[in-house]
Amino acid sequence: MSDGTPKKVLVIDDATLVRLYYRGALEAAGFRVTEALNGLEALEQLLGASFDLLIVDVNMPQMDGLTFLRALRDGDLPMAAIPAMVTSTESAPQRVADAVAAGANYYAIKPLGADVLVQYASLLCGARHG
Amino acid sequence: MRSAPDYSRWFPSMPLIRNPAGTTAGERPPDAAAVRAALESGSEEQRWYAARAAASLSDTVAAVAEALAREQNSRVREALFTALARIATPQSIEAVLLFLRSDDASVRTGACDALAAMKDAAWPHVAALLRDSNADVRVLACELTRNMPSEHAVPHFCALLDNEPEPNVCAAAIDALAELGRAEALPALARCRERFRATPFLGFAISVAEDRIRSQSAGPRA
Amino acid sequence: MPDVATLTEDAFRRLCEFLYRRTGMVFNEAKRYYVDRRVAERMAATESRSFESYFARLRGNAHGEIEQFINAFTVNETYFYREEHQLICLTSNLLAERLKRKSRGDRLRIWSVPCSTGEEPYSIAIWLLENWPLVDDYDIEIVGSDIDTDVVALAREARYGKRALMRLPRHVVDKYFEPSTGDTWTIIEDLRQSVQFTVANIVDEAETKPHGQFDVIFCRNVLIYFDDTSRRIAAENLFENLLPGGFICLGHTESMSRISPLFGVARFDDAIVYQRPWS
Repeated sequence: MSDGTPKKVLVIDDATLVRLYYRGALEAAGFRVTEALNGLEALEQLLGASFDLLIVDVNMPQMDGLTFLRALRDGDLPMAAIPAMVTSTESAPQRVADAVAAGANYYAIKPLGADVLVQYASLLCGARHG
Repeated sequence: MRSAPDYSRWFPSMPLIRNPAGTTAGERPPDAAAVRAALESGSEEQRWYAARAAASLSDTVAAVAEALAREQNSRVREALFTALARIATPQSIEAVLLFLRSDDASVRTGACDALAAMKDAAWPHVAALLRDSNADVRVLACELTRNMPSEHAVPHFCALLDNEPEPNVCAAAIDALAELGRAEALPALARCRERFRATPFLGFAISVAEDRIRSQSAGPRA
Repeated sequence: MPDVATLTEDAFRRLCEFLYRRTGMVFNEAKRYYVDRRVAERMAATESRSFESYFARLRGNAHGEIEQFINAFTVNETYFYREEHQLICLTSNLLAERLKRKSRGDRLRIWSVPCSTGEEPYSIAIWLLENWPLVDDYDIEIVGSDIDTDVVALAREARYGKRALMRLPRHVVDKYFEPSTGDTWTIIEDLRQSVQFTVANIVDEAETKPHGQFDVIFCRNVLIYFDDTSRRIAAENLFENLLPGGFICLGHTESMSRISPLFGVARFDDAIVYQRPWS
C-alpha cells in the first residue's frame, strides 16, 4: 500500500465461499477484510466502522446490493461516498446501468478471479496514487 | 431522588384498549372486497393494512400479485410477500415464482425470502426451478434447495453439478454442499472441478467443500 | 463429558454463520469461550462424538436442537437492571429523540414484550425514576406483555428473590421494595400499580394491535426462536405497534439484519437500536 496503512474492505455477499475466497485474496495482498451477509448488516457495520472500499453483491436476502447502495448514497452516513464495486452474475447492459444509477463506481462479473479482484480493489482504494 | 414519588400520573385513565393512531381498520378486519379495493387505490397506510389482512384471505392472491407488480413502497411490498408466504397455496406460490424473474433486485430478494419462508410448501417446485432457463433463478433455487432435508437436497445438487453450464450456479450448489457435508457429493464435486478448470474460484470452492465434507464424514455419525 | 474442545477457527465460523442465518443471533470472537462451552454441553447431552456429527444434528434441528443450543444464551435467570446498557441508552439518547416532537405533559409509552415475570418493565420504571430528570414532566406509560399467563400473574404479584435484586443498589431496594416472606421482596404497591400487564402473543396481530403504539419497545430474545414466517409476522406487528420514529431494542446478541428489513438502524454509545422510519 502506498502509505503503509492497510486498506479496509467490507465484503457484502451472502455466499460463504465467495466471502472466504475474497478474504483470502485480499488479506494476502495486505487488505483488512470485514464481512456482511446482506445489505442490512452492511448498513449496520457502516455505522460503527470506516472502510476504504465496499464490494457489494447484488442478490442477497433481506436487502439486495442495489437497495443497500441507494440507501447508503442517499443517506447521511459519513461513509456515503465510499467507493463501491458491485459484483453480479449478470452482464446485461441494463443491469450495469442500474448498478451505476444506484451508486456503483465499478461493476464486475462473477465469478471473480483472485488476481482481478485484488487489482480492482487496489485501483478503487486509490493505492496507486500518492 | 424525591422523597414521595407520585405514581398516580402513570395510571392510565382507561383500560389498555385504544385504537392505534393511523389505522383505517375498525375492530373487524376487512373482507376480501375491501382488501382488493384498498390494494388497488388506497394510500400507503391503507395498502399496508390491506396487505396484512390479505394473509388470511386466500381468495385475494390475484389482487396481491397485481399489487406487487406495481408497488413501489418497500414496506408494503414486504407485507404483500408475507401475505403470499402465509397463504402458501399453489396459486400464491406461482405468484411468488413469477417475481423471482423480476428485473428489480429488491423484488427478486422479496420473492426468494417469501419462498424460503414457505418451506416445504415450496419444495415441490425446486426441481423445475433448478432447470429454469434463467441462471439467476437457478441460483436462487439453490438457496431454496439447501434448506431441504439433506437426503433430498444432495441428489439435486449432484445432478446439477454434472449438467450446469453456468459457473455461478455451480458456485451456489457447491456452497450448499459444503454446509450439508455429505460424502456422496464428492464424486460430483470432482467431476465439476474437471469441467471448470479455467475458473479459479470454483476450484477453490470445491476444495473447501471437499475439506469440510471429509472432516464431517470422518467422525462417527450422531 | 468431552473436554471443552476448542473448535477450529473454520468450525467456529461455520457454526456462527449457521446460527446467524437461522436465528439472527450474532456470535463473534468475544463469545468464543461461551460458544465452545455450550457446544461441549450439547455434544454431551446429545451423545455426539464429534463436532461434525453434532453440527449435522444442529443443522437438521433434530428434537429442537437449535432452541436447546441458544437457550443457554438467553434463558438465564432474569434480574433487575439486566442489560443496563440499554437502560442507559434509553435515558441518554432514546427518550431525548422522542421528546423532540413532544410537548411537556405529553404521553411517553414504553412496551416490554415478552416481559416474563416483570423484572424488565419494573426495571424500566425504577430506572426512569432514579435516572431521568424529566420523569415528572411527561405522562409515562409502561406496559409489560407475555404469552404465558403464569408469568404475567407472577409479574403482577411482583415478588422476587434476592438474586433478582443483585444488581440493584441498596437504596433502590429500600425505596421500591418491601421485604416479604421466605426471603423475598415485593415491589411497593404504587410502583406495582404503575405498570400495566397483559397477556399477548406477538405473532397474533389481534392480540398486539389493541396495545396501541409505543415510543420504545423492548423485545429481547424472542424473535430468534421463530421460524421465518412467524418472524415476519411478529416484525410487522411490532412495526405497527411503534410510533413513526419509535425505537425497538433487541437482545444484545440479536440483529434485525437477519430478521426484517422494515426497520432502520441507529447506533448510540451504549447500544444499537432499530427504528421505525418517520415516513
